Amino acid sequence: MINLSQLTTRRILYFTAEDHYLYRSAGGALELEARFSGDDLGAGDFREHLRAHRGALYSVLADIAGEDFHEEQIPFVRGSDRDAVVARRLAQRYRDTRLAAALSLGQVASGERRNERLLLASFTNTQQLAPWLNALEEAGARLSGVYSVPLLAPALAARLARRGERVLLVTANRAGLRQCFIEHGRLRFARLERTVDMVPQALAMFVRSETLRLAQYLVTLRALPREGAPLHVAVVAPAGQREVFEQVLVSDARLQFHTHDLAAAQKAIRLRRTPEGTLAEALYLHLTARKPPAEQFASREDRRRYFIWQLQRGVVAAGVLGFAACAFVGGSRWLETLGLREQAQQQQEQGRRAAQEYERITATFPVTQTSTENMKVAVVEFRRIAERSALPEQALTHVSRVLAQFPQIELDGVNWRIGRPSELREGKPPAPAAAKPPAVGGEAAVLVEVSGRVNATQRTDYRGITAQVQRFAAALADAGYELARSPQLPFDVTSEGTLTGDIVGSVSGDAPRFTVFLARRLP
Amino acid sequence: MSFTPEELKKLLLPALAALVLLGAGAALIWSAGQSTARAKRELAAAQDERRQNGERLARIAEEEREVKEKLDVYQRLAQLNILGEERRLEWADAITRIRTQRELLDMRYRVERQRLLSSVAAKAGNVDFHASSMKLDLALLHEEDLVRFLGDLRASGNAFYAVQRCAITRTGQAATGAGITPRLRADCDIDLITIVDRGAKR
Repeated sequence: MINLSQLTTRRILYFTAEDHYLYRSAGGALELEARFSGDDLGAGDFREHLRAHRGALYSVLADIAGEDFHEEQIPFVRGSDRDAVVARRLAQRYRDTRLAAALSLGQVASGERRNERLLLASFTNTQQLAPWLNALEEAGARLSGVYSVPLLAPALAARLARRGERVLLVTANRAGLRQCFIEHGRLRFARLERTVDMVPQALAMFVRSETLRLAQYLVTLRALPREGAPLHVAVVAPAGQREVFEQVLVSDARLQFHTHDLAAAQKAIRLRRTPEGTLAEALYLHLTARKPPAEQFASREDRRRYFIWQLQRGVVAAGVLGFAACAFVGGSRWLETLGLREQAQQQQEQGRRAAQEYERITATFPVTQTSTENMKVAVVEFRRIAERSALPEQALTHVSRVLAQFPQIELDGVNWRIGRPSELREGKPPAPAAAKPPAVGGEAAVLVEVSGRVNATQRTDYRGITAQVQRFAAALADAGYELARSPQLPFDVTSEGTLTGDIVGSVSGDAPRFTVFLARRLP
Repeated sequence: MSFTPEELKKLLLPALAALVLLGAGAALIWSAGQSTARAKRELAAAQDERRQNGERLARIAEEEREVKEKLDVYQRLAQLNILGEERRLEWADAITRIRTQRELLDMRYRVERQRLLSSVAAKAGNVDFHASSMKLDLALLHEEDLVRFLGDLRASGNAFYAVQRCAITRTGQAATGAGITPRLRADCDIDLITIVDRGAKR
C-alpha cells in the first residue's frame, strides 16, 4: 500500500560539526523531528529512528567547515567520456571520492581546444559523514542526495539578490556564519566560520569583518578584480535584527550590502513555518526538500533505492498520465455524445411535433371505415384495374357507324377482347379460355376482329374486292383504332403467297370473305 | 542499466498499476467511442424521422384533397357493393331481372370459382382484389341487346364488371314466322371483381 504522505514528506538530516538535526519537510513547513549528537551514540539513535521510519525519503544537508573547492579544466567531452574524465580528476584530487562532486562552470575556449571549467568539491574529512551514510544504507532508506549548504546557495541567492555577475551570500546558520561566493549564478567558493552566541551588534560587525576578509581573499585568488564595481553582498539577518545589521553593514566602494530579514527570506522561498530556534539553515533545508540542485555528493549506489522509488513513481505517473489523456479523449467524446444526444432529442421533439400536427389535421379529415392508407391503396389499385378494362359497346358502336357507309359489306361476326397487339400481328389469336388480359399495363389493348363479306362484287374481281376491303379497313382505323395487321382477304395477293384463279362462266354463290384486325391501346 | 530481481519485484506493482490504468483508459475511450457512434445513429434516425414527418406535414393540404377525392371513390365502391365479399345471389338475381326486363332470349352463364387477382399490403391490413370469371352465352335479336345487357349489368352493382372477351356471330337461322328467332349469338367472358379491405372496421 502506498502511503500518500511519503509522496510529499521528506526528511533532511542537517549535519553540522557538532550535533545533527533531523527535519521533516511537508507542505511548505519544517518540523524538527529529532536531534542526534555527533558521536557514536547519536549514530545509534539515528539507526533506531531509521528502523521506525522505513520507506521514508531522506536527504543530507552538510553544513560543515573543511569543504574543498578546486577549479579545473577538462576537455569538452560528453556522455561516458566525460564521466570517466571527471571520475579521474576527482580521484586525483581527493583520496576518498565517496562524497565528491564536480560542478560545471561552463565552457572556455583555450586556443584551438574547447574546455569545460569544473569546480571540484568535496569534504576534507568525509569520515565524519560515513557512519551516518552507512546507517542510511543499512536501513534501506531512500537517500535522494547528500548536499552541502554551498550547493544550495545559488538557488537562495537567485531569490534574494538582484541578478548580477557576482554575489556574496552571507547567512547566520546554526553551524556558523556561512559565506558563499556565486558568480554568474554558479558557486565559486564558500566558507564556514564558527560563531559563538553574541549580541546582534557584535554579530553584524563580525559579518562585516568576515565579509571584508573573504573579499580580500577572493581578490588574492583572482576570483574578484582588484578594481571595478562593488561586490553585492546579500546578508540574511536573524529574525528581528535587520535594522541593527543595516546600521552596521554600510556599503562602500568595495562592498554593497543588501540586508534581508529571515522572515522575508522564508517568504521569498515559500517557507511557511519553521521550528523554534532555527536560524538561516531553515532556508537551505527547505530548498533541499523542495528545490534540490542536480549536483550533489552521494554516489549512484547510495542513491539506488531513491532511483528505484523515483522509477516506481514515474511508472505510476506515466500510467496516471496515460489514463488522464484517455480520460480527456473519452471526456471529449462523451461531451460530443451529449451534444449529439441533445441534437437527437431536439430532432425527435420536432419530428414528434410534426407528427402530432399531422395527426391533428388528419383528425379533421372525413371519417372513413378504413385507414387513409388502405383507402388510398384500394382506390389506386381499383383505378389501375379499371384503366385496363374497356367497354365492348364503344367498339360495336364504332364498327356499326363505319358499316353504315359500306352497304355492300355484310358482317359475319365481331370478336372483341382485351389482349396484346402482338397477338393479332402474329396471327395467332389465343383460345377463348386463355384470353386473359395482360397482368401489367403498357401492352394492354382492345383487340377487335371484324369478319364479313363483300356483296355485289364478282368473286373474280380481285382488284375490286381488295379495294373495297382496304377502304372499309381504312375507315375502321379511326377513333383511336388502328390496323393491327393487314386485312385477311379471300385470296393472297402478296408475293409470299399463292394466287389462284377459278374463272368459269357461272357465278358462285358465296360472297368473298375477309377479316379486319383492329387494336386500340389502353392507357 | 540493469535491475536486480528485488528491484524488479518492486517495479512490478507500479507497472501493473500503470497497465491497469492504461487499460482502463483505453476501455474508457472505446466505451465513449461506442456511445458516440450510437448517438450518431440515433441522431441520423431522428433526423430522418423529422424530415419525413415534416415533408408529410408539408403535403397535408395536397393529401387532404387526395383523401377527399379518394374517399368519394371509396364510398362509391362501397355503395355499389364492389367493396366487400362477393354476392353471388345478387348477381344471379340481377341477371334474371335484366333478362326479364329486356325480354332477352336464351341466356346461359357460368360463374367460375373466385381467384385472387392482386393483394396490396397496407399498415392496417391487406387490400385484396378478387375476380370471379363469368362465361356468358346470349342469344340476340340485335346487337343492341348485348349493349343493353352489359349496361344493365354494370348498373346493378355488386361487382366491377370487366369484360375480357366478347364474340358476336350470326346464328345463320332463318326466321320461321312461328316465333322469335335469334339472329346473333354473343359469347362473352366477364370478370366480376370485388375488393376486400382487411383494414376496414367491421
